Amino acid sequence: MADAVIVVALLLTAGAATAAVAVRDPARQALVLSLLGLFLGVVFTVLQAPDVGLSQLAVGSALTPLLIMLSVRKVRRRGKEGGK
Amino acid sequence: MNGWILAATVLLAGGAGTALWGVATGPLSRRVVAQNLSTSVVCASLLLLAQGYDRTAYVDLGLLLAVLGPVGTLVFARLLAEDLTDDRAAAWGLTWTTVGVDAAVVVALCVAAGPGRAMVKLLVVGALLIGGNLVASRALSGGFQGVRGG
Repeated sequence: MADAVIVVALLLTAGAATAAVAVRDPARQALVLSLLGLFLGVVFTVLQAPDVGLSQLAVGSALTPLLIMLSVRKVRRRGKEGGK
Repeated sequence: MNGWILAATVLLAGGAGTALWGVATGPLSRRVVAQNLSTSVVCASLLLLAQGYDRTAYVDLGLLLAVLGPVGTLVFARLLAEDLTDDRAAAWGLTWTTVGVDAAVVVALCVAAGPGRAMVKLLVVGALLIGGNLVASRALSGGFQGVRGG
């Protein structure tokens, strides 16, 4: 019974990871990926590793989506310029 | 397993599960709203877990998420602004519901912590979380028209 929260966190992580693969558009993948980062942080916390969870939350919630979205925008712009 | 961890489990299964479903399906406006609301839900459950494990240091996780979660949403609001202009991502009913849940969780934890330094920290986390959530929701619904392009 005490492991219920671990099971829920692991299920959410597995669901988010599967959704991140199933979604095809990179911008939407970045959205799912930020959720995956949050859920991984929760998994580390319920497994009593809050230091790892802290860095995972910092990287996963803001930094990874920012990097992906900046790359997507740059690629899109370059594609538009090449189209002209 | 005590009541706090049970509450965190229910909140994670219900709230975060719904957010995951919302972010994986539907139009882009719904996805960004779900991403915004997932921050509130996960932060509230992290605070509940800190109380459930009886380790006040775990509150730092909630503090970090309350600061960085809305920042992540603002990144999406800024970089997806062109895609969101014709399809406004406004969901104020959901936003106020999660704000109410967050406020209830913070108040319950404050009552459990009693007056002191821990209570002040919880109140700061709650204020950051609710304020950040409202600002991010406003940005997603096109509230900051002056900030455009780039």
